[in-house]
Formats: sequence, structure tokens, C-alpha cells
Amino acid sequence: MPFDPATLDAPFEALAAYDWGADSAFFKTIDAAVIAAHADTALRKGLESRFSRLLSGGSSHAAKEYVCRKLMMIGTAASVPPLAALLGDADHSHMARFALERIADPEAGVALNKALGMVSDTLKVGMISSLAARRDTACVTVLTTLLKGSPMLAIPAANALGTIQSAEANQALAAADPFAAEGVGEAIVNARLACAEGLLAGGKRADALAIYQGLVKSAAGKPDAKAIELAATRGILACADAVAAAS
Amino acid sequence: MPRLSSSFAPTASRREFFKVSATVGITAAAPYVITSKALGDSSTPPASDRIVMGGIGIGNMGKGDQGAFLNRPDVQYVAVCDVRQKWREEAKSRADAKHGNQDCAAYIDFRELLARTDIDAVHIATPDHWHSIMTIAACRSGKDVYLQKPETLTLREGPLMIAAARRYGRVVSGGSQRVLGDYRGIVDPIWAGEIGNVKSIDISVGGPSMPCYLPAQPTPPDIDWDLWLGPAPWEPYNSGRCDGNFGTGGNSWRSYVDYSGGSLTDWGAHHFGGAIFAADLRELQPTGVTYHPAASDGKTAGYVSVTYPNGVEIFHNRPAHLRPVPSISHQGSIQIAGDGKPRAAKPVPLYRNGETSIYGDFIECVKTRQRPFRDIELAVNTMTAPHMIAIGYRLERSLAWDRTSQQFRDDEEANRLLDRARREPWSIS
Repeated sequence: MPFDPATLDAPFEALAAYDWGADSAFFKTIDAAVIAAHADTALRKGLESRFSRLLSGGSSHAAKEYVCRKLMMIGTAASVPPLAALLGDADHSHMARFALERIADPEAGVALNKALGMVSDTLKVGMISSLAARRDTACVTVLTTLLKGSPMLAIPAANALGTIQSAEANQALAAADPFAAEGVGEAIVNARLACAEGLLAGGKRADALAIYQGLVKSAAGKPDAKAIELAATRGILACADAVAAAS
Repeated sequence: MPRLSSSFAPTASRREFFKVSATVGITAAAPYVITSKALGDSSTPPASDRIVMGGIGIGNMGKGDQGAFLNRPDVQYVAVCDVRQKWREEAKSRADAKHGNQDCAAYIDFRELLARTDIDAVHIATPDHWHSIMTIAACRSGKDVYLQKPETLTLREGPLMIAAARRYGRVVSGGSQRVLGDYRGIVDPIWAGEIGNVKSIDISVGGPSMPCYLPAQPTPPDIDWDLWLGPAPWEPYNSGRCDGNFGTGGNSWRSYVDYSGGSLTDWGAHHFGGAIFAADLRELQPTGVTYHPAASDGKTAGYVSVTYPNGVEIFHNRPAHLRPVPSISHQGSIQIAGDGKPRAAKPVPLYRNGETSIYGDFIECVKTRQRPFRDIELAVNTMTAPHMIAIGYRLERSLAWDRTSQQFRDDEEANRLLDRARREPWSIS
């Protein structure tokens, strides 16, 4: 039976003023509507519209958080603008990403990339994390620049490049210093190893081998570089195993 | 210099030090720097053969894990970490009492503990939302890991944890002491071929976790609330939100979706773990989820099942009148039906080197670099089943799973539930 949108009026009114600890029984109706929206385009559109109004208006902190959780499940490009507007707000940035990171529509990625250039450094770390989770290649140029900056952003940038694993990401990591100070080098090495694993899994054994051999070479003669040598040597052996398995 | 490098092969470098010191005359100073405890005795191995350990998340289950490791003569326990002052101090006291000194360091932030280069291994028993971040960080800093179940909170975390363990050659053991400890009554007959090929499994255990709507309370001074929440959404402090008791009815972190998968993954890690082990499915992941809606007669509740590539189906809370007569069962919580056809017996995999507990299995593997009984890959595979069942309940529909891509097929909404955005500055990679 189709979901009757009129039954949502009272729950949405209650939601706007909701605070933690208040009566939350009305959530059940909205939760059921969100599930039903999977097979009901009109209902989904209506819900998104209601949720967007709550995000843009003066609803409570707890209400906005609840809305972001629901938009994580059913949000479309239509929900991106009100969510994007919260990305620079320290109180709501994470929950806006909570929704945007999981919305497949490219508009969500565009919003996260735009925010990456605008929000505080603390919140930038979150944008980088979400863009990496989406394997969004549009951010690679910015991440490459961040690699050369403060560890606060260079480490997440390296981690993200190691997750994105595009050719451009690989190049950026190859040009970075695996012995950079304050944890940056460790993140760069880890990202390079992750890229090599991705290449090997994708059948690009020679490219993977080149990364592993490059890491071994860079570690040669360096004190305290045994970890890099061991991990890269393990990778070289994996490349040999791949050859053996293929022959 | 990369931080991971200095502690990447901790046991080797530590033993090498003792070996070298004995041969080049450093022992001339031995009476002043090496105590009799360091040299060992009939019940305690010398320090060079002990595994240096620390614990992260040291409350309810962490306390039990700490006790298990403290009781091993081949473990030197040197550090504890917890965001709660009381648990941190109690855990330090237990370690100090055991070792007869005041040497156990206490940390609020796990990153400080992991930065120590003298620690070989850690056990982790935080709430589930921390498991993947801490395990990956531990691997990257050269530590072996004993990780309490449920090892994962989301489906995306598992492959990243496996990759970190393999990349850095770490021993990472999952933490269900019951899988081998409690279920031998069903494991042994099935591996002996007594019920033939397993066809279906019914598991009775509580359901998924729920949202938390508890009111704000004043944050006590003895907890670092921001660090307790970590990657989870910011929510106001409430004692019921973060209590570590084993309940899942609304007064513990195990109840709530931001921190746990609820009974389904908590006790479920044991029951699913035992059943999946018994049926020899640990190497596999389900091919899909089937949602069975409630019957219109109002008498039959809805339930969910997962199907494995070999055709075995595991049902969660299937109504009793729909179940086949079980060939074998464990206290009613696991019922397994076989086809009764003759099948060759197989030896049951056990803990390494005759060890009798999962803790001993882990320590043995730290020493020998073998994969443990509940190696992280097997643990991740196991937890895939209850996580998928939870998603089936949440979406109220059936789903198909592609193990290679680690995605649901043709269901974009289901794939949204593979993971969740982590609160800055936390991430996994």
C-alpha cells in the first residue's frame, strides 16, 4: 500500500524542535517512510524536500543530525545544496559528510571538493577522508599540494592518495619524500604500498614491482628503514608469486 | 624518519640486543641493570623470550583480556590505555601488582601507546567503532594485535584491516574465545562427517543495534568524551550511551548503531563464529541476503538469511515452525541440519602448538609468526554474515553480494550502508 504523505506532517513538525531525550516515538513514522521511499519516487522527492527545509531552517542540532542520517540513505542530487551549506559549520560538518559521502551522485563529490578549498584545516581533514572514501579523482591535484604542507593535512592527503590509487595519485606519491618528518613519510610509504597492492591485484605486476623496488632502493643505507625494506620486499615476493601463479 | 620503521620487527631487535650484549661484554654491567626477573626462572622465561604487551580499552572485556595476558609468564605487560581514568588506573594497578613494580605506563590516547617502540603486541577491547582505526594504526606501527570481537563495525573496514595486517606482516587475531572454546559439541561431530553435508543453520540471537536518543547529562571529569566518541558522530554524554556492560537493551554502547552492531554482531560474533566454523565456511563470504517479510497472519515474524556459495543458508531468528529438524544443536541457539550423506572426516583446526586458549594461540603466533586460529581474514569473513543480515533488516529487502568488489549488486542504497563517514580527524585507509 502506498505511503500516505499526510501522515508525515505531525512527525516532521515534532522533528523540527526535537532534542536528545525528548519523546522520539514519531521517528518511527519517518523511518518507515524512508524505507518505503525506495520504491516510491514521489515519496522520496517529498521526503527530501521536507528534510532540506529542516536543514536550511532553524531546527535543532539533534534534528539536523537525524536528517543527515536519513539523507545518507535516500539523498539525491536534490539534497546536496542544503548539505553542502553545512560543510563549513563545525557543529554540523561531519554529519553533512555523513550523508554526502554516501550519496553516489557526482554532485556530492563536487560539493566536497569545493568545501575542501574553503573550510578550516580541521574540517578539511574530514573532506579529505570523505573524498578518499568516494575515490574521487578530482581532488588529487589539491591533495598533491597538501602533501607538501603541514603534517596535519599532509598525512590525510597521503592516506587519501593511497586510497584513490589513480595514475595521478601514484605519480604524486612517487614524487613525495618517504622519509618526511612527523609521520608524513610513514603515511607516504603506506600509501605507496597500498597503490602497489592495487596495481598487483589489477594485474599490473611490473608497475607494482617498480614501486616496491623503488622503496627498497630509497631505504638502502638509511637507519631505521628496515620496516620499509621488509614491507617492500614482501611486495616483491608477492609479485613473484603472481608470476608463478600466472605461469 | 618513518615511525613504523623503528618497531617493525620488535621481537627480533629486542632478542638481538640480548644476544649481542651477551657476546660483546655488555653483561659486565649486568648486576646493575638486569634483575633476576629479567633473567627468568623455572616458571618465567627470560625477558628476551617474553612478549611485551599493552592494552587499549581496558574496561569490561578489556579487563578480562588483560587478566588472561597478565597470567602468562611469557608476557611482560607494560602499558594500558583508556579514556576513563578509573579503568586506566585500575588496569595499571593490576599490571604493577602482577610484575611487582610500578612500571606499567598509563595513557589516555592510544597513539602514545602505539608510538612506543618497545611494545610487541597490543590487545584492543574498545567499543566497536574504534576497532578498525586502532588495528590499522597498530599494524602500521609494527604491533601485533589481539582484537576483541566483533572485529568490524562496517563491511568496508574488514578488507582494510586485512590489508594492513598483510602489508606489515603482523599477526592479527580476532577475539572470540568461544568459537573453539564453547562449540566443540557441534564442531567435532560435523568435522567428523557425522551429519553429512551441512545444508542449513538456524541461529537465535538478538537483533541489530538501534539509534540512540538518550538525553544529555553532565560529562564527568574522569572521561575524555571527545576521544571516547572518536570517529562516531558527536552526541552529548550519557552514561547509558557509553556504559560497557554486556546488555543490548538500551543501557550500553552495545545497544547503539554508532558504536556497535547490537546483539546480532556482539553475541552474534560467537554464535555465527561457532556455526560458521562448524560448517567450515570461514574462508567464504555469503553471496547474498534474503529478506523474509512477516506473514500477513500476524503470527510469523520477519527474518533474514544469508546464502553461501556452496548452498549453505544461515537463518537469523527463523520462526521455529519453519525450521527443519536439526541434526545437531548447541543449547538451542545454533541448530544445524545436514543431509546425512556419508562424508569424509577432516581434522578440526585447533589453537597452535597445543595452546588451550585463544590468548595462548595469539602469543604462540606472535612468537612463531604463524596465522592465528581466528586470523583477521577469517574473522572478517565471519562477521560479513551478521553485518549483511543487519543491512537486510534495515532495508527490508533481499540483496546480492559481490565478494570481489565488496559491493552489493545493483543496489546503490545498500552500498551506502557499507561504511559511514568518520568524524574528523579520524579516517581509515
